[in-house]
Amino acid sequence: MSVTPMPRQAEVYLSLRDLALACGISTTHAALLVRLGLVEPEPDAPDCFSSATALRLRRMLRLRGDLGVNLAGAAIIVDLMERLERLDAELTRLRGQGWT
Amino acid sequence: MAVKFRDYYEVLGVPRTASADEIKRAYRQLARKHHPDLQPASERARAAERFKEINEANEVLSDPDKRAKYDALGADWKGGMDFTPPPGAPRGPTVTTGDWEDIGDFSDFFASIFGRPTGGTRRGGVRVPVPGNDIEGELPLTLDDVLHGGQRRITLDGRSLDVTIPRGIRDGATLRLAGQGSRGVNGGPPGDVYLHVRLAPHPRYRVVGDDLETDLPLWPWQAVLGADVRVDTPDGPVTLTVPPGTQSGARLRLRGRGLPRGDARGDLYAVVRVVVPTRPSAAEREAYETLRRVASAPADRPATP
Repeated sequence: MSVTPMPRQAEVYLSLRDLALACGISTTHAALLVRLGLVEPEPDAPDCFSSATALRLRRMLRLRGDLGVNLAGAAIIVDLMERLERLDAELTRLRGQGWT
Repeated sequence: MAVKFRDYYEVLGVPRTASADEIKRAYRQLARKHHPDLQPASERARAAERFKEINEANEVLSDPDKRAKYDALGADWKGGMDFTPPPGAPRGPTVTTGDWEDIGDFSDFFASIFGRPTGGTRRGGVRVPVPGNDIEGELPLTLDDVLHGGQRRITLDGRSLDVTIPRGIRDGATLRLAGQGSRGVNGGPPGDVYLHVRLAPHPRYRVVGDDLETDLPLWPWQAVLGADVRVDTPDGPVTLTVPPGTQSGARLRLRGRGLPRGDARGDLYAVVRVVVPTRPSAAEREAYETLRRVASAPADRPATP
């Protein structure tokens, strides 16, 4: 059995258990967050979470730990940050086309 | 080992006389302003550095013992000055190389006054395991990568990473490389790497969900009479039967020539566009004039197919 970590197999989807592991929380806690709608599984796949969701939840947990916001607030912050990033990208694109 | 003096009061923007409440308030405001997760992706690395400084300053100034020890150095020091620890200060008990990475979140200056962490013991130095930062990047892929998957070496934050690209990955998907981000501190876990897939536009194929679309220009007679035409697909050329009476805009399906999805594949659609010869030969021109004469539709009305 090889322990060589390279090349890395990239994860695209995670199970609830993997998601919990990826975010350093218990599976029970992760399941609770799903029930509360703070973490969303893939459409039509209740035990399937995207890597983007793992990144999102890790951000939420950091925001809670570092700034003391609760997870509902952190979810809103992450939503707004994603929107801001989309708008930034759009602005950069429009600038490239000479719109501003 | 000379280190650079850090002015923790300056970092938090408070006077040396600041009360515990003032320090707490300044820290909260700065943490909110510079938290890496609250910055656009391009600013995140810089914010992470600033956030570290702010945390270090807070670690010292919010702890009465540490603050007293720091204040005892005197008020003459300015940030950035070469600093030699006073005699009796706890030199790093285990680490002597001055390797900044080994204490991660806190500076050598911090370590020169408060000591470095030693495995397991909690004496004065850094106490809390801090997870490493996540690193995000873009992974530009071609349609070929999506169709076949494969290996890719990428450089991210100056590090080289080998990534296995899963076959059938989609534009906008995120790949997670567990534990490949920044190193953790004090036994904290390393961060992850997250790669956002950006599919470069292909000159010939457009991606529509699991399917691909390609333009199929046809001459009028091919569209009217039908034809067997050779079209390119990602798997090589195939012969496509165009049925008689094919209109512009018709979508002719080549089953299973689209993007991989699980064990199956989407379809490739050839979207018909009827084009007219701009410089017909004399014989072609004659044929079209004959066609106009014999056509049942009037020549002075738009077509009504």
